[in-house]
Amino acid sequence: MKSYIKIGIIGAIIACMGAGMWLYAQDDRPVFRVKVELVVLGFTVTDNKGRYINGLKHKDFRILEDGIVQKVSTFAEGNKPPVQIMDDGSTQPIVMANVEGEGKGPDVRSDAFVGTNVFVLFDTSNYMYRGFVYASDAIADFVRGLDRADSIAVYTYSRNLSRASGLSKDRGDAIVGLRKAVAGDDSALYNSLLLTLRDAAKVPGRKVVIVFSNGPDNASMVAPDDVRAVAEDEGIPIYVISTNEVNKDQISSGVFRRISSRTGGKAYFAKTWQKQVEAFENIREDLGNSYSVTYYPQTNPNEGFRKIEVQVTSDIGKKYRVRARPGYRPRGGF
Amino acid sequence: MKAFASVLLALLTFGSLCVADDSAVRTRQMEREGDAAGARQLLLRAAQSSPPDAGALTAYAEFLDRHRDPGVRPAYEKMLKSLTRPEDRGKVETAAKRLLVLDLLENDTAAMERHFNEYKASGGTQISLDALRGAQKPAPPLTAEIPGPLRSFSRMAALSPDLSPAELLPALARNVVTNGYQASSGNESLEPTEYLKLIIRYLSQVRELEKLAGADKTIKIETCDSTQTGDLLRVLGYRMRGGCGSEVVLETVNATRAFLTIDSGFPLAQLEQSLRTNRPFSYDYKPTVVPVLYGKEFWTPAKEKQGGEFIDFFLSDPSLCRLYLGLSKLDRETADELKKQMPAARIKAFSHVLDFYGGMFQIRNGHAVVPGGARAITAWKELSGTSPQDGPAFFEKLLTRDDGWMASLYDAISRINGPVRDYLLEPKRFIRFYTAMKGRITSPGPARPVFRANTDMMLLTQRLRVEPDGRAHIPGNMEVWKNLFIHHPHGKYDGKLTKAAVNWKEPDDLVEALFALCRKAVENEPLKIYMALSDLNRFRTKPLEPATVDRLARDYRLYAAQYSIFSEVPSLSDKTIIAYLDTAQSISQIRDQAIRADTAGMMQGLVGLWQIFCRQGSVQAADVDATMAGILAEFGKTHNNRELFDGGRNATRILLKATHLPEDASPQDRMVDLLAGSARPADSESHRQVVQNMIQIFESQRLISLKTIFDLADNLENVTKGERANSALMAKLAAKIAEIQLPRASLSTVEKNALAFGYWTERHVEAQRRVNLRGSIDKAANDPEKLKDIRGQLTPFLRDTLVGLNYIHYAPPGAQILQTNPLFVRTHDFLGVQGTNQTWRATEVFGTGWPSSAGGRLVGSLSGLPYALAESEQNFLVPSREQALIWGDLVPQMILTAKVPRWWNVTPGQLHWVALHLNQGEALLAESAIDPKERAEVLDLLYLNAPPARVNKVSDLLEQGNVRSALELVTPSELYVLAQAWWAQNKDDRGVFSVEARRLMAETPDQFSTRAVSRAFGTPKPMLANSYQPELLNLRTFPTLMGFSSRIMAESWESNILYYAALADELNMQPSQLNVVVPQWTQATVEKIFATHLEDWPALLRSLRLVGDEVRIKARKQLAAASDQKASLQE
Repeated sequence: MKSYIKIGIIGAIIACMGAGMWLYAQDDRPVFRVKVELVVLGFTVTDNKGRYINGLKHKDFRILEDGIVQKVSTFAEGNKPPVQIMDDGSTQPIVMANVEGEGKGPDVRSDAFVGTNVFVLFDTSNYMYRGFVYASDAIADFVRGLDRADSIAVYTYSRNLSRASGLSKDRGDAIVGLRKAVAGDDSALYNSLLLTLRDAAKVPGRKVVIVFSNGPDNASMVAPDDVRAVAEDEGIPIYVISTNEVNKDQISSGVFRRISSRTGGKAYFAKTWQKQVEAFENIREDLGNSYSVTYYPQTNPNEGFRKIEVQVTSDIGKKYRVRARPGYRPRGGF
Repeated sequence: MKAFASVLLALLTFGSLCVADDSAVRTRQMEREGDAAGARQLLLRAAQSSPPDAGALTAYAEFLDRHRDPGVRPAYEKMLKSLTRPEDRGKVETAAKRLLVLDLLENDTAAMERHFNEYKASGGTQISLDALRGAQKPAPPLTAEIPGPLRSFSRMAALSPDLSPAELLPALARNVVTNGYQASSGNESLEPTEYLKLIIRYLSQVRELEKLAGADKTIKIETCDSTQTGDLLRVLGYRMRGGCGSEVVLETVNATRAFLTIDSGFPLAQLEQSLRTNRPFSYDYKPTVVPVLYGKEFWTPAKEKQGGEFIDFFLSDPSLCRLYLGLSKLDRETADELKKQMPAARIKAFSHVLDFYGGMFQIRNGHAVVPGGARAITAWKELSGTSPQDGPAFFEKLLTRDDGWMASLYDAISRINGPVRDYLLEPKRFIRFYTAMKGRITSPGPARPVFRANTDMMLLTQRLRVEPDGRAHIPGNMEVWKNLFIHHPHGKYDGKLTKAAVNWKEPDDLVEALFALCRKAVENEPLKIYMALSDLNRFRTKPLEPATVDRLARDYRLYAAQYSIFSEVPSLSDKTIIAYLDTAQSISQIRDQAIRADTAGMMQGLVGLWQIFCRQGSVQAADVDATMAGILAEFGKTHNNRELFDGGRNATRILLKATHLPEDASPQDRMVDLLAGSARPADSESHRQVVQNMIQIFESQRLISLKTIFDLADNLENVTKGERANSALMAKLAAKIAEIQLPRASLSTVEKNALAFGYWTERHVEAQRRVNLRGSIDKAANDPEKLKDIRGQLTPFLRDTLVGLNYIHYAPPGAQILQTNPLFVRTHDFLGVQGTNQTWRATEVFGTGWPSSAGGRLVGSLSGLPYALAESEQNFLVPSREQALIWGDLVPQMILTAKVPRWWNVTPGQLHWVALHLNQGEALLAESAIDPKERAEVLDLLYLNAPPARVNKVSDLLEQGNVRSALELVTPSELYVLAQAWWAQNKDDRGVFSVEARRLMAETPDQFSTRAVSRAFGTPKPMLANSYQPELLNLRTFPTLMGFSSRIMAESWESNILYYAALADELNMQPSQLNVVVPQWTQATVEKIFATHLEDWPALLRSLRLVGDEVRIKARKQLAAASDQKASLQE
């Protein structure tokens, strides 16, 4: 008998994140449907001076989707284990128990919902030639400083994506992968970001993508905003650390700001190595000071973009600022 | 009593024979139906009978052999044991020989000896192990050292880690020649590129590290605080942050050195970990020893022989590298003879010609082996002025005579066989064509540019056709071509040729002119016209009329990209082809840009669907022409959106009607079913998967189904008759329209308009977003004409749906663009930049790498859609190898090869047919190792497709008994051709594969005709054959060519589908499953390629076989697991 995650909420999550539901018409033709899946929402709360507000409970929040109040399934703060929210508003830890059936279902670990799955996307194109080694050092520092509960994957890209190290809690793996990176040629940032998001979307739990690039893209087929839409829909915040000055490439800077803010992440423009390290520290802080909730959306006829709003009910003076993705589009499926 | 016993015995024997025959018939039947697993079970049961039945054991062993089952050797062993009667000696001999070959393939020496003894004991004399026993190991190669580990050097020099030591220097030489030097800005000299500078810097760092490594060539760090640590980190460009212990971190202190450290793959993370844990660090730092052709002395300049290292001289001289590359492409005997004939300095001066065109040179016993053989010796002698009998002098002449033109012609003709070669090698004609091609001024020769510049000559010699009367095929007649040269609408092509054309009488006159045009990089349009029209006539039962040829030739500049449609469907009548051109012309004259784009899109969308249905056999041959004519008739004269919509709907109905599919399902469902391909009920699961993928992409593009559009149109028609509008339908469309977003661009509208490109596609999207049927009905206020016009608003939706159906059919594996950019189909730009008129040009990818745009999009007609889609998708594949990149120009062809053909109509027998060929090819090569007589025959056949140097290597390896390595050098398509050629010459071959192939052919010859197999397992060749119709041409693998990079090479690569087909047969898969697995296997193959350069097809071959091995392992694991599960259930 093997120890596995038990039923309850986790089971439901896994089921919904799997292959999806198949509906058939009478003639066995697959019918396309909009799938209603578990929504994972991460956000941070800060005061008017930008300081993180910690220690809030699930009762302090109200989640609305297109103005419809949602029933929260789980709640977690920082890297603490999530708790299940019961019908009466009480909480209880998510139960681990023994179930049979080794190797079935998606790649889910017993601690899949603890910590954050961090995907670092590192630009190794010609555009990064000069700053390549310093960037590598800064990322290595970031990897070493991550919370134990977090998992990390390091991807690199030039014209193509390379999965330098897969998602793992082993920092050594990530650093070995990082240090194996090879300088490449063209830069296809948005193609690679899309593929990274697709990989991240397959992983259960909270995840973020951190892009380390100086901006230019001369080879992508996808537009930045199409990639941003994928991140929004999957609930994956994108953080960007750009090694360029904001003024040097205004289009890229604008794009970075938009894709990060619209997905609940942040963009940093860090020209020096020290600033890059600071940017990584800020991201680490963000991860450690964020809240995350999950919920199954209430009935909503809107099959297009659904607007999400997080209200802090205990913030009577309206002094707090919530940073979260603005919404998502339910995905299609069969 | 005795009589009774005899009768009984006879009856029993007869009965058992009947049972055996019945069993054989049954297993054949099962195989024919694709149930090879069931047949195997049945044969196994029979083979396990007691007492052992030799017939059953033979049938079982041969079955396993034909299906490459791992249990084949034990099965043959059992069979051997059962053959005990004296009359079985022949069978024993055959089985023992086959076992011996299988042992060779498995490299099982002990078993070889054992089976050889059994073979001899049975009276076999044909083969001998003496040669293998006595085979001397090849003399150790002359070598040189490259400082530092191989892995690091390979990373820095961008060399594949899969290269064998012997391949390393040729690959390095090629990289130095192509990437190592560039013209300096100030003068004519060359200066190193950044690529080469980094290698040189790396070598300098390596030498410092070698000093640290000391005599035992190992970098050792005992403790964190030792002095070696500091020395090592200084060389690496790093320093420690934090004191020794768990907090130590390595950080960059010298960016240049640190870059080399990382880029060369020094194990920095492991070093850091050792320092953190204060454990010793040890890194093997032995230099890399690589074989050097003729030894390093040969390549080292005399003045440098006393000092310096080989690698430094090598890297510093690109012409030396070019010579190395050229000589390494020759077989040893040829290279030796040439080296004797020409001093090194002289060959070096012509190394560019040798590199590009020397690969087919071959000297045997002092004579040149020329294309055309003995019959062509006169032609070659007259051409070069030297007899091929004197091989070295002949090839010297080819190399040095005219800056490479003659050598390039030699290379082109070496790649063809049959009547075209004989036609070209007629001595007078040959000299005439060569003289025309060479011209008066030979420089610059075809070997001067980075790519071979004789592309047109290569294509002309491949595509030229000869009539049964021995004359060249001329589309139309000579008058058409004379007129074209003399009165061309776009002005003169070539003054001299225009003058000469007045006197043309014979086809040779035109071919001479075409050879003359091969020289030209521009203004060689007639050559392209000739090749396109010649392709068009290739499969036509009646060649095109001269008037049609004339029209096609004159309209070539405008509509050339459309001609592949006519090539692919040879039953199109001249009238319909002319109608196509007329329709295209009339569409081009529509003044309203939006209507023109919609008309072109809708017409091309429908023609694209018709083309797919013709390819898949969904439209019957008798209906092909009329259907196309019917579609075209709907688009001839459209003035407004309403007429256009009605035309589109009528044309859709005409197309669907031609498929003769029951009309009970909706047009959308029928269309998707037809696109997926017609499957048998047994193949429903594969069909469902294909349909599912297509629907998913259709939905991702937010397209509106044909059913919804037509229902709406019907409803609007009813509204004009006073009925109520269908609110539900209107709401459905409105909801879809609400999902259509404008392209997500980062520029303001003013900026976008200023840039112009894409402007019209955005207008198209905007027009759709503005549609409000309910509002229009209200506005029409019961005016019948206005109400009728409302359905014209559905035109852009219908266009996108029809275009989108083409897209979903060709969607590459993964289809990231189509899944991510919901406007990809809608933004297909049929007009292009204003004034460029791209409506009828080949599909192109535009807008990549422009973050301010709305993403890449496709521009132009739909004629090149499969390639353009594959091209746009290729960089979403993720190389699985460190440092590897996706191979542009090759990968799109691989992808479309997996998507254009469908395998619904392929039979299990046809799969097995391919497998038998590949097995037979392998068996022949393996037998050649132990049968010198057979080896000579087999290698002669291998020359048909493989170049001399490679055949030579295969021969050496076979002589050494290294069959596996020999097989690795031969491609699946070469194995296929080898078996085919062998069977043509050895019609009574009694080998297990030969017997089975003959049986299959006898049973159902139609299934195994050259044409049927070519259609089933061929690849589309839009450049080489101007058609997307899959076919096998059995070509030599092409090199890279100017203007095409690796694209034509990729088209000449026919191994993938043959290999996958044989793999599917081996794994007992249904042919229909190829429709699902081939795209997946192709993706895996592409992602595993690690190519060093643009001609590195061996990297593709390695990847192909790697994927095959992985699929095999996975399938066998699944089989074993299923078997275990079954056993445990039975328990």
